[in-house]
Amino acid sequence: MSDLAIASPISSLRRLPGVAIVLVLLIALFGAIAPGFLSAANLSNVLVQSTILTMLALPMTLIIMTEGIDLSMGAVLTLTSLCVAIVSLATQSMLLGLGAAVLVGTVFGLANGWLVAIAKIPPFVATLATLGMAHGLSLIVSDGQSVVGIPHSVRDIYSAKLLGIPVPILMGVASYGVFHGLLYHTRFGTYVFALGGNRDALRYAGLSPTRLLIAVYAIGGMMAGVAGLLMTARMNSGHPTAGLGLEFDAIAAVAVGGTSFERGKGWLLGTLLGVLAVGVLRNGLNLVSLPSSVQVASVGVLVIVAMFLDGLRSRA
Amino acid sequence: MSDRAVGTAVSPVPLLELRGISKTFPGVKALDDVSFAIYPGEVHMLLGENGAGKSSLMKILCGAYTADAGEVYAKGEKVAITSTADAQTLGIAVIFQEFSLVPFLDIAQNIFLGREPKGRLPGTIDRRRILRDAKRVLDGIGFDIDPSVIVDTLGVAQQQMVEIAKAISQDARILVMDEPTAALSDREVELLFALIARLKADGVAIVYISHRMAEVFALGDRITVLRDGRRIDQVRPADVTPDQLVRMMVGRTIDMTYPRHFAEQPGELVLQVKGLSALTGISGIDIEVRRGEIVGLCGLVGSGRTEVARAIFGADPVTTGEIILDGKPISGEPDIAARRGIALIPESRKSEGLALLRSVGDNLVVSALKKLFPSRLYDPNSAQRTADGLIRQLRIATPSARQMVGLLSGGNQQKVVIGKWLAAGAKLFIFDEPTRGIDVGAKSEIFALIDRLVAEGAAALMISSEQIEICHVCDRAYVMRDGRVAGHLARSELTEENIVRLGMHHE
Repeated sequence: MSDLAIASPISSLRRLPGVAIVLVLLIALFGAIAPGFLSAANLSNVLVQSTILTMLALPMTLIIMTEGIDLSMGAVLTLTSLCVAIVSLATQSMLLGLGAAVLVGTVFGLANGWLVAIAKIPPFVATLATLGMAHGLSLIVSDGQSVVGIPHSVRDIYSAKLLGIPVPILMGVASYGVFHGLLYHTRFGTYVFALGGNRDALRYAGLSPTRLLIAVYAIGGMMAGVAGLLMTARMNSGHPTAGLGLEFDAIAAVAVGGTSFERGKGWLLGTLLGVLAVGVLRNGLNLVSLPSSVQVASVGVLVIVAMFLDGLRSRA
Repeated sequence: MSDRAVGTAVSPVPLLELRGISKTFPGVKALDDVSFAIYPGEVHMLLGENGAGKSSLMKILCGAYTADAGEVYAKGEKVAITSTADAQTLGIAVIFQEFSLVPFLDIAQNIFLGREPKGRLPGTIDRRRILRDAKRVLDGIGFDIDPSVIVDTLGVAQQQMVEIAKAISQDARILVMDEPTAALSDREVELLFALIARLKADGVAIVYISHRMAEVFALGDRITVLRDGRRIDQVRPADVTPDQLVRMMVGRTIDMTYPRHFAEQPGELVLQVKGLSALTGISGIDIEVRRGEIVGLCGLVGSGRTEVARAIFGADPVTTGEIILDGKPISGEPDIAARRGIALIPESRKSEGLALLRSVGDNLVVSALKKLFPSRLYDPNSAQRTADGLIRQLRIATPSARQMVGLLSGGNQQKVVIGKWLAAGAKLFIFDEPTRGIDVGAKSEIFALIDRLVAEGAAALMISSEQIEICHVCDRAYVMRDGRVAGHLARSELTEENIVRLGMHHE
């Protein structure tokens, strides 16, 4: 075979982001070794299960683009999920449950934003502190017990279909659409790039980095509230450790997706692909009967592999 | 000659006039009664040595600093510049050396940051219009590029063009450029000059800070020379020669004594650098330092002085050339250089030279641990004795060896850095701006200390932007320009004028 024939597919592969390669390889791998992986039912399942992570990873992308991080997202999601369970149980209203969850989530997001932008506490420390507070509150409001017996209106969201498509998938797609529009087509999105890329440029333009930064974290909290509804619906209960470690998956998905922790380099579609890679990996490992401990470790490996592929690409 | 007399030939009313501007920072008078007028369609060159007050003046123009005294007039009316917004309203835009661009936005988004055309939905941007408007601005300055290109993929020159486009789009009438050609290739410089000519024709005034004589004469309509925060003179290029300009720039007043015992005969060769080049932009460096000598390394900031020091110390990889210490070649890592007896006392001693939260004693012995404790067991008493000895020898003003280094004054911190290398048995000391940020009395003491070091058999290479210090303290000096050694000055030729002349661009 001539060199040319080999060279051209490789050079075009190099232009592909690492996360796309990883996702294709993972699908191919589990298609080959995991029975039933490629069935329509299972693929739909992967998408449904990825919705909650999508809702966290999208705002996490914006936060990381500002050279920040939100470690509290998983714990806040646990708390908002409990809010949904408790409020909907008391009022028999799904919407009131959702409202309470969004309110609580947004308050935590605002707190994170305030701590980072005004109190100037490093994001890692600030959101670690709110993680602890959200976790503690979860234990208090639930008394350490699961909240069961929630109304059907909540539970049905997870299994309902619209035009034959599961509602969670639609919610995930809608979230992506909103965030895509927000990041790439609004002034706010433009300023998110500047928050990480060059804050002085914002100041010269007469804009307040402080308020923008608070808004970015607030959006993260709000989305944790929306995701809380899905989590409660999925588990058919409120559970005091429901969101444990989800911030890890969200940060991993963002990192795998090629968003940089410096200079405001972000890629929203990459985050979506990263979420799917994490979802496929967990689902596939589940199908081949590996325990969840292996799944957690494998997400770590995934991050390193994707970074490595991107590193190869940027050097090429 | 008054501003007005010179200005009449250009245009009767200045776009902007500064009268009697002063600005004081703790311990230094950055600007002292500076007056300065800018007329439409002129390129006004601002000339001065490092620290003459150019950047302070620039920052006052753009509202980053507020003057302590003095008045500003725009088109004859009294105004105040107290914020960047004020400066923008007056049509003043500064093209900084570090750009104010957002790397992962496109050119159009950068040009109109904060002024995006509104789209149909609230909060959205009219994408088609922003691209069209950007294209128009770019065309206006003759920059032919697709406005949807991400800025991060552009070269330095192109980013500078975007920066200028941004300023022009804000109706800037006064552009302040800080050494705009510093990072440009010859071809890019030509493009920039063409753009400047175009802006001039449109009546834009340009304040141009430069260290390159050729540019000063090629572009300038008028030249203002600053020295020690004062306006020395304002001239037209046709009325002066480069040599006259240099003489205006130098001649700083001496405000201290320099204790120095010059050796009759320099000792044997300690350091020999032959044809040294590194990726950091220095090339073909030849330098020699002998025992008992203090050799100066001068030149403008950015001429490669620090890079030479770092390459000798092994902190940056060397591409070609040889570094010979005591007759034996040396190459590689800082720890090898340190073991062979080279001490680098960096400019930013806070970040590179000292562990600020540790004690004076710890800092003094840290480089000498292997020498002091060959058995690899730490003996606090012996460390304490060594530290106390050095504190006495160097007259470090500290209550005890246990004091945290960060609490000492700048001069005493500098002594601790020197003591640290003395303990390790260094024989070649490389000082990078040894007197930056320390007061006059402490400076004198530091020089006395360096003098004593070389008298006792060490050798020293000293980088300084203070030409007067080099002239008084050094046995001889190398002058750098654009990453090369532009010349060597023996003791008898060591004058500020000669240093500045060699360090500037004449071609």
